[in-house]
Amino acid sequence: MLSWAALLVCALAVAGFFVAKGRAVALGGDTPAILHSRPVYHGGFVAIRTALAGLCVLIFGLILSNIAIRWALYSGLPAGLSGIERDLIVSDGVALAGGNLASRSGEARDVVAALYARLSMIQGWGLALASVGVAGFALMRGLRQVSIPFRARSRFERIVQIVLAISAGIAVLTTIGIVASLLGQTLVFFSEIPVWNFLFGTLWSPLSGVHDGAMDPGKVGAVPLFAGTLLITVIAMLVAVPVGLFSAIYLSDFASARARSIIKPMLEILAGIPTVVYGFFAAITVAPFLRDTGAAMGLSVSSESALAAGVVMGIMIIPFISSLSDDVINAVPQSLRDGSYGLGATKAETIRNVILPAALPGIMSAVLLGVSRAIGETMIVVMAAGQGANLTANPLEAVTTVTVQIVALITGDTEASTAAGPAFALGFTLFCITLIFNIWALRLVRKYREVYD
Amino acid sequence: MTETDPIKFRCQGVNVWYGQTHAIKDNDIDIHDKAVTAFIGPSGCGKSTFLRCLNRMNDTIDICRVSGSLLLDGEDIYSREIDPVQLRARVGMVFQKPNPFPKSIYDNVAYGPRIHGLARNKADLDVIVGESLGAAGLWDEVKDRLAAPGTGLSGGQQQRLCIARAIATKPEVLLMDEPCSALDPIATETVEELISGLGERYCVVIVTHSMQQANRISRRTAFFHLGNLVEYDTTDAIFSTPQDERTIGYVSGRFG
Repeated sequence: MLSWAALLVCALAVAGFFVAKGRAVALGGDTPAILHSRPVYHGGFVAIRTALAGLCVLIFGLILSNIAIRWALYSGLPAGLSGIERDLIVSDGVALAGGNLASRSGEARDVVAALYARLSMIQGWGLALASVGVAGFALMRGLRQVSIPFRARSRFERIVQIVLAISAGIAVLTTIGIVASLLGQTLVFFSEIPVWNFLFGTLWSPLSGVHDGAMDPGKVGAVPLFAGTLLITVIAMLVAVPVGLFSAIYLSDFASARARSIIKPMLEILAGIPTVVYGFFAAITVAPFLRDTGAAMGLSVSSESALAAGVVMGIMIIPFISSLSDDVINAVPQSLRDGSYGLGATKAETIRNVILPAALPGIMSAVLLGVSRAIGETMIVVMAAGQGANLTANPLEAVTTVTVQIVALITGDTEASTAAGPAFALGFTLFCITLIFNIWALRLVRKYREVYD
Repeated sequence: MTETDPIKFRCQGVNVWYGQTHAIKDNDIDIHDKAVTAFIGPSGCGKSTFLRCLNRMNDTIDICRVSGSLLLDGEDIYSREIDPVQLRARVGMVFQKPNPFPKSIYDNVAYGPRIHGLARNKADLDVIVGESLGAAGLWDEVKDRLAAPGTGLSGGQQQRLCIARAIATKPEVLLMDEPCSALDPIATETVEELISGLGERYCVVIVTHSMQQANRISRRTAFFHLGNLVEYDTTDAIFSTPQDERTIGYVSGRFG
C-alpha cells in the first residue's frame, strides 16, 4: 500500500514537471525571454515540491504512526507482566499478524495480533491517502503559480541547496554517531576495568574469566596487541616506503612515457586487489615460504609470523605511497628542475637536492596515510599474523594485532554484550591513533601546498 | 659591425626539430665574448629554442633533436666527449620566471658550488656566496638574512638571486631567457643594469620580447622569425638601419 502511494507521488511529480513546463512554454509564446525562469525550472520546481511534500508526509507519518501503534499495543496488554514478557507478547503478536511463526500462542497474543492487523491497515490507508492528497495539493498550488514573473529558478536552486546541505550533514552526523557510540561503550567498559590496566597491562586474555562471572582486570592489558600492531606496521612500512618512493621517483623522472603507461596501471591494479586476497596470499604462499627459507638457514620461523603479514601488508601499501608520492613529485614545478639542470646538476643531484626536499612534506603525508592504513588493516593479519597475544619484538614469531582481537571478540561465541566491552575499548583507542595520524598527515599536506601557491 | 670582441660561440647550420616541427632552420651565428647579445623576435620564432641549444637544455626534452655545429671556444658542445652536465656548469642559465629553490638564500647560491665541489671548506663557500650575491647586486639587501627562504624575496630580488646562483658556478657564458618578463618596471630596471654590467665580464645571451630592452642593454642583436635568423648586427644597426623587410617591420612595430 505504502509503496504504491510512494510510486503515485512520484508519478504526480513527473506529471507536474511536464504540465508546468508546458504551461511556462505556452506563457512565453514567441518571446520566451520574457519569462523570469526558463520553463524547465518551472517544471523542476513543481516536480520537486510535489515529490518532497508527498514523501515527507509518508516518511514522517510512518515514523510517528509506528510509535503510536507500539504505544497502543503495549497499553492494551493485561496488567502485571514483567518488561520482558510484554516485549515477547508484542513481538509474537506482530509476527502472528504477519502470518509468521510465534514463539508461543495464547489469548493475549491473539488480541495483540488482531489489534496490530487493524491498526496497520488503518496506518497504510491513512498514510497513502494523506501523502497522495498532500502531493496533489502541492501539485495544484505549484501549477497555479506558474507565471511570467514567478521566480521558479531561485526557488528550485534554494531547494537543491538544501538537499546538498542535508547530504553533507549525513556524513557529519554519521561520524558523530559512530564516535559517540564508541566513546559511550568505551566509558562503560572503563567503568568496570581501570584504564591503566588496559593501557599498560601486558597480559591479554579478556574472556578467560568471564565464565566465573567477571572479567579479570589483570588480563585485559592491551600492550601486546599494540606492540604487535606496531611491529607489523614497522615491517610493512620498511617494505612499502622504499619500494613505493623509489618507484614514484622512477615513474616521475626516469620512466619513458611508454614504461609509465604500463607501470602506472599495474600499480593501480595492485591497489585494487581485495585485502582478503592479500590475506590468503600471505597465509598460503608467503608464510610457508618464509618458514622453509628460515628452516634452511637454521632459523625457527613460526608458520604465522609477523614478518609474513608485515611484508604482504607492505606490498599492499606500495601503490598508495607510490601513487601519492608520484603526484607530489610531479607537482614540483618543472622550473625548479630546469633551474637545477641549468646549474649543471645531474638528474640524481636534482632529485636528491631539489625535488625530494620540495616534495618531502607531501611524501611524509603519503607515508603517514600508509601508516594509518597499516594500523587499521585487518584481513591480512587475521589470516597471517596469528591469534595469541604474544609480547615480542621478534618478527619471526606469531603476534596478534588490535584488529585481529576485535574480530576474534566479535565473531567469537561469547555473548556479544560481554565481548563488546573490550572490543569497543580497542576500537576507540585504534580510532584515536589513526585519527592523530590522519590529522598530522593532512596538516603536512596543507603546509606543503603553501610552498608554491 | 665591430669585430673587436673575441668569438665565444660559433654556430653553423643549426637545425632543431620538436618531433615533426622544424623549429630552427639552418642558422649560422657567431656570439661574441664579454658582450651582451640579444635575441629578439615574435613569439614562437625559435629564439628561446636556440638559446636552449647553447647549454643543451633541450636534451631534457625527449622529442627534441638538434643538428649542426655549435662550437664553444672551438669545441663542439654536441660531441660525444662533452658531458652536458659539465657544459651547463660553464654555460649558466637564468629563466623567465624566477625559480629559486625552496631553500635558504645561502643554500640557493651555494647549490652550484656544492655540486661542483668549487669550495674546499665553509669559508671558501662563504666567499663564493658573498661575491655572487654582490655581483648580482643583492648582497646589501640580504646579507642579514641569508638563512631566510629564497622564495620569500620579492620577484625582482628572486630573479637577482637566480642570477647570483648562476654566477656562483663561475660560468663563462650566461644565458637569460626573458629574465625580466615576470618583473615590474622598477625591478626590470635594476636587473637590466645588472645585465649590462655582467656583459663586461661574461658572454651574455639574452632572449627578450622587449625591443627597448634589447636596445638598452645589448651590443648586438639577432632577429629571429619563423625559425630563421633573419638579421644579426650591432644593436645600433638593427634598430637604426635594418636591412631586411621583416626586421624593418618588426622593429618599427608593424607586426609581432
